[in-house]
Amino acid sequence: MMSTPLFLGALAEVYAERTGMMICAIEGIFLIGAWGGFVGVYLTGSLVIGLLVAILCGMAMAALYGVVTVYMKQQQVVTGTALNILAAGVCAFFQRVLFGVPTTPLQIQTLPKIAIPLLSKIPVLGPIFFQQNILTYLAYVLIPVAVFVLYKTSLGLTLRSTGENPEAVDVAGLSVNRIRFLTVLVAGAIGGLAGSFYTVGYLGMFTSGIIGGRGWIAFAICFLGNWSPKGVVFGTLAFGLADAVAIYIQAVSGHTIFPNELIIALPYILTIVLTIARSNLSVPAKLGVPYAKEN
Amino acid sequence: MKKRLGVPLYNIGAVLVGLVISASLLLFLKLNPVEVIALSVKKIASDGYTLGEILVKATPLIFTSLAFAFTYKANLFNIGAQGQFYAGAIAAIALSLSLGDRVPQGVLLLIVLVASFASGAAVGGLIGFAKSRFRANEFLVSMMSTYVVSALMDFLLRTTLQETKAEYLQTDAIAKSTYLPAILPGTRVHLGFVLAVVTAILIWVLLYKTPLGFRIRAVGYNHNAAELGGIRSGKIYVAAFFIAGGLAGMAGFTEVNGVQHMLLQNFNTSIGSFGIGIAILANGNPIGCIFASILFGFLNVMGTTMGRLPGLNIPASIIDLIEGIVMICVIMSYFVRKAAENRSEKQRLKKAGGK
Repeated sequence: MMSTPLFLGALAEVYAERTGMMICAIEGIFLIGAWGGFVGVYLTGSLVIGLLVAILCGMAMAALYGVVTVYMKQQQVVTGTALNILAAGVCAFFQRVLFGVPTTPLQIQTLPKIAIPLLSKIPVLGPIFFQQNILTYLAYVLIPVAVFVLYKTSLGLTLRSTGENPEAVDVAGLSVNRIRFLTVLVAGAIGGLAGSFYTVGYLGMFTSGIIGGRGWIAFAICFLGNWSPKGVVFGTLAFGLADAVAIYIQAVSGHTIFPNELIIALPYILTIVLTIARSNLSVPAKLGVPYAKEN
Repeated sequence: MKKRLGVPLYNIGAVLVGLVISASLLLFLKLNPVEVIALSVKKIASDGYTLGEILVKATPLIFTSLAFAFTYKANLFNIGAQGQFYAGAIAAIALSLSLGDRVPQGVLLLIVLVASFASGAAVGGLIGFAKSRFRANEFLVSMMSTYVVSALMDFLLRTTLQETKAEYLQTDAIAKSTYLPAILPGTRVHLGFVLAVVTAILIWVLLYKTPLGFRIRAVGYNHNAAELGGIRSGKIYVAAFFIAGGLAGMAGFTEVNGVQHMLLQNFNTSIGSFGIGIAILANGNPIGCIFASILFGFLNVMGTTMGRLPGLNIPASIIDLIEGIVMICVIMSYFVRKAAENRSEKQRLKKAGGK
C-alpha cells in the first residue's frame, strides 16, 4: 500500500517531535533514502544492502540536521529547508557522478511481494493486507511496538518529557541533547527506509521528483495525528484512501468530470482542510525550541 | 554596534567556506576545483551579460525572501511563497495576454503589477485567515498551498491559458508591449530589479517606521503582550500574510513580464525555498535581503557558468548543491559567531571581575 512510507515517515516524525525536534528535513531524508536505496541495489544487486544504504543515508542527513539544530542550537525550520535543498543537489549531482547521463532510465529489481500463507487467502482483505512487500509488514509490526514504547516504557516517558519539559529531564541527570540527537538519528534511519520504498519497493527507478512532497505529507500526518502513533495510523489510512479514491475517479471518468490536477492536489487540500478543522492539537510544548542549559 | 560589524564578516566567511566545500566536490568529477572556479569567475567578470544575469536571478529572490522575512517578523512562517509567486504569475500572464496590445505599456504594467500583488496577497490572506480564525498551523497550510496553487497552474496551462498551438503545456508569448523594459543594455536586466530594490526599501520603512510595522513586530516578539497592549493579533496575522503573499506575487510579475514573457510549467521552482534561506541569512532585515539575494544570484550564475564550461560536463544540479552547502555553512556560522562572542564576553567579564 502506498501508505507505508507515509506511515513510517510520520511515525519517525512523531517520535522526533515528541522530544521537541521538528524534522523539517524529512522531505530531504526521504529523497536521500530513495536515492541511497536505489544506488545500493543497483551497484550490488542486493536488496538488503540497498535498504541498508538507504538507512545510512537517512541517518547521515539526520545527523547533520541534529548537529546543527541540537548542538549548535540553530533554527529548525531553516536548517531543514537548507538540508532539503542540499539533498536534492546531492542526489542529482552524485547520480551524475556515478552514472553519467544514461540514455535509458536505470532500473533495479524491486522488493517482491510476499504473501503470508493462510492470512492472504482471506477474501477481499487477504490480498490487500497480506500480500505486500517487507516494508509494509515492518510497518504493521511497528504499530503496536511504537504505541507500547511511547506510552508504556520509561524510554517513551523520557522521550515525551524531553519535548514537554526538558528541564525535568535534565534535572533527572539525562542529557537532553543526546536524547534528541539520538531520536533524530533513529527517525532519520526510518525516514530513509521510508524514502527507499518509492524506489526499491515500488518504482524500481530513481527520478529527482520521486518524492514529490510526500515527505511533507508525512510531516503533516504527524501534526494531524495529534502526535500519537494511533493518530498516524488513522491519518495514513485516510490519505491512502483519498489516494485510492482519486485514482478510481480518474480511471472511471477520465478527464471529463474532475480535472487531473484536482486529483493530484487532493492530498494537499485534504491536509489544509484537516489542519483547519483540528484546532485543538496537543503540540509538544517545546517543539522547535532548542534546549540551552541555564549557565 | 560592534556586533553588527562582525555579522557580515562571519556570513562572508561562511559563504567562502561553503564555496570551498562545494568546489572540492568537483574532485568527484575528476576536475580541478581551482581551475574551474577561476575559469567561472573569469567568465562571469568578463561578460556584461553574465554579470547582468546575477541581477536578473536576484530579482525574484528579493521578493520571495521579503515574503518570508515579513511574516517572520511576526513570528509566522510563510512557507508558501512559491505558491504565492505562482498565483502572481498566473494573474500576470492572464492579464498580459488579454490586455496585450490594447492598453498603453505604462498603464498595462501598472495594472499587471497590482493584479499580481493582489493575486499573491489573496493566497497569503487566506493562509493568514486560517491562522487567525481557526488557529490553524500556518506552516502546514502555507506549505500545502504551494502544491495546490501549482496544480491549479498546471490545470490552467492545460486548458484556458494554453498556447494556441496546443502543443506544450505553456502559454503564448506575451506581446512586446507588455515587457518590462530592459534597463542595462546588453543584458537581460529589467525594470523588475529596480522594482525589487525599491520594494525592499519600502518594506523596511513599513516595518520600522510605521505603526503597522510596529504592531507586526510587537506580535512577533510576544503576541500575548501585544494583545494586552491593544493589538489584535488575529488581524495582524492576516495583514502580514496578505502583504507577504503580495510580495511573492510581485515576483510572478517580474518573472513573467521581465524574463520569461510566457508561463510554463516548472519554472523557478526553488525560489520559494531559496527565499527562506536568504531571509534567514539577512536575519529578516529587508535591506539585508537585497544583498543576500544578489549573493544567491551570483551563486546561481556561478553554477550555470560552471555547467556551460566547455567539455567539463558539470551538471546543473551543482547549483542546488552550492546553495544548500552555503546555507548550511551560514547557519553554522551563526553558532560559531555566538560561541566566539560568548567567549570574548566571558573573558571580558573575567578580566573585569578579577581586577
